[in-house]
Amino acid sequence: MIYLDNFRSTMVAPEVWEAMRATAVDEYAVPAAFTQCGTGAAELIERAQNRLAAAIGASQNEVVFTGSGTEAINIALRGSMLSQSIEQPEIVTSEIEYPATLAVYREMEKEGYKAHFIKVDGEGKYDLDQLSSVLNEHTVMVSLMGVNHMIGTIEPLAQAGAIIAEASQRLGRRIPYHVDFASALQTQRLDVDAVKADLVSFSSNKIHGPKGVGALYVRKGTKIHPITFGAESYSPLVPGTPNTMGIAGFDKAVELLYATFDKDVEHMRSLTDRLAAGIRKRIPYILLNGPDGAGRAASHLCYSFLFIEGEAIMMFLDMDHIVVDTGSACAAATLKPNYILMAIGRNHEEAHGSIRFTLSRYSTEADVDTALAKLVPIVERLRAQSTIRPPVQ
Amino acid sequence: MAIKYTAKVIEHFKNPHNIGVIENADACATEGSPACGDEITVYLKIDKATDRIEDVKFQSYGCASNIATGSIITDLAKGKTIDEAEAITWKQAADELGGLPPVKMHCSVLAVDGLRSAIRKYKKEAKGIDYDSTLDVKTVTEELKHVLWPPVGVDIITLKMVKYIGIDQGAVKVEISVGSDDKFLDPTVNEIIEHVSKIRGVKSVNVDNV
Repeated sequence: MIYLDNFRSTMVAPEVWEAMRATAVDEYAVPAAFTQCGTGAAELIERAQNRLAAAIGASQNEVVFTGSGTEAINIALRGSMLSQSIEQPEIVTSEIEYPATLAVYREMEKEGYKAHFIKVDGEGKYDLDQLSSVLNEHTVMVSLMGVNHMIGTIEPLAQAGAIIAEASQRLGRRIPYHVDFASALQTQRLDVDAVKADLVSFSSNKIHGPKGVGALYVRKGTKIHPITFGAESYSPLVPGTPNTMGIAGFDKAVELLYATFDKDVEHMRSLTDRLAAGIRKRIPYILLNGPDGAGRAASHLCYSFLFIEGEAIMMFLDMDHIVVDTGSACAAATLKPNYILMAIGRNHEEAHGSIRFTLSRYSTEADVDTALAKLVPIVERLRAQSTIRPPVQ
Repeated sequence: MAIKYTAKVIEHFKNPHNIGVIENADACATEGSPACGDEITVYLKIDKATDRIEDVKFQSYGCASNIATGSIITDLAKGKTIDEAEAITWKQAADELGGLPPVKMHCSVLAVDGLRSAIRKYKKEAKGIDYDSTLDVKTVTEELKHVLWPPVGVDIITLKMVKYIGIDQGAVKVEISVGSDDKFLDPTVNEIIEHVSKIRGVKSVNVDNV
């Protein structure tokens, strides 16, 4: 199988699996004081907190582990929004966020919060002027993402952070800034101080860690309430028995990520460049979705193939054991074209023909060459069958 | 629940029968639209003496089930008289494929609509039989039986989701009842507009969720 759907989820690295196995078998105790096995489990969590914290310029107590990236987003957003008592509260995000963020915002709208969804340009970059203009005395949250999961756009987090910091200073109160870094962690470094983030959410399964684990950075001093309640653990934000096996796996994934970070990013960039060059050379009538070159995450490539539909392309590739994703309405459970492609100005037809290729450090030149070799005849064949014809040259 | 295609759908998707164009076809019709995600064109070659479909071909812009249903309806239609072929239902086409996921049932409707449109064009041109009926509530209701509610793959008239149909000098108003945040609301509204707009005499279509 050639797996080019790494923005959806990644393979668990063998070293990660071994760390999880060892934890499950040897370190299954619950974190506790005094006993050898209890303190062993507590130290395992501290080690994982320290490693992620060090990587993002934070300190150990500012990191907690959650049940998923989605749960981290829920705790960050709801926990912070509900802890602030501001009249007629307003919340800000963009129209191209991850579904979890948008779902929380829609839910908060039902609870009476006024939500602003800032627009993006044709490459998916945030309209920072609009961000600046919507911040006011009612704003209780800004949530943005590091890399867009559909089109790979690297978002101007630090510029947004500066705008939020300036507005906060003007208001004499900190407007909390949440960053969804799940899709970015694989290819972007993060310094929480440089970005001026108060809350950052992460997901383990996007970096070759296990599913069912996420993490949340909460800047010291940030107002936040728990949104679930239960037996005390190492943090009130995440009550209940910690998933030590998952945390050990996530920790190992973080260790591996940073051990070869720059080399891996360069490797993925060279592969996506190779794939893009091949597609441009061999397939006419295509549209790149998202920025070209350095503005896009190194592991990411999304093209629309005109006159044909993406689910059919995806299915044919699947039969050749090549896994990709599409923004086509036909492949969506909702029958709607991908909202991010629509937000950058694609029409329905262009969105239907989109295929997203997302690579990992395990991808090889042979993988992308095989994918391209299979893709070309699939596109030609579907175009020959299509009711829509390319314009006569 | 996992949404999967049957082996027969996959087979027809991989190797569709009767794909292509008939030059100098006796009739040809296109249904659907790229904006809605799928479109099919059906070409017919008809033996004028016997009214039998000698040859049928189709082209498809759409997903795997769109291609597979195009393939199966052309198989079903080939060799039949135009009246027999016109009576093929979308349920029959889906059954022939071993079933379709409910969310994909509309592909079967589209394929059958494409075939029927081509047959009716032929009947009108060759025999002077005019199917275009006057714009009234009955015609709109009939047309709305071609709009399926995706989660169950059953039409919105049978499901009693249509609460009101009003017609005023070509302006059609359709009221449906769906949860305002239902994820299928938008695509269903688009499909109602696409279908009702096809009826002769319709100048505008307005869909309200009440």
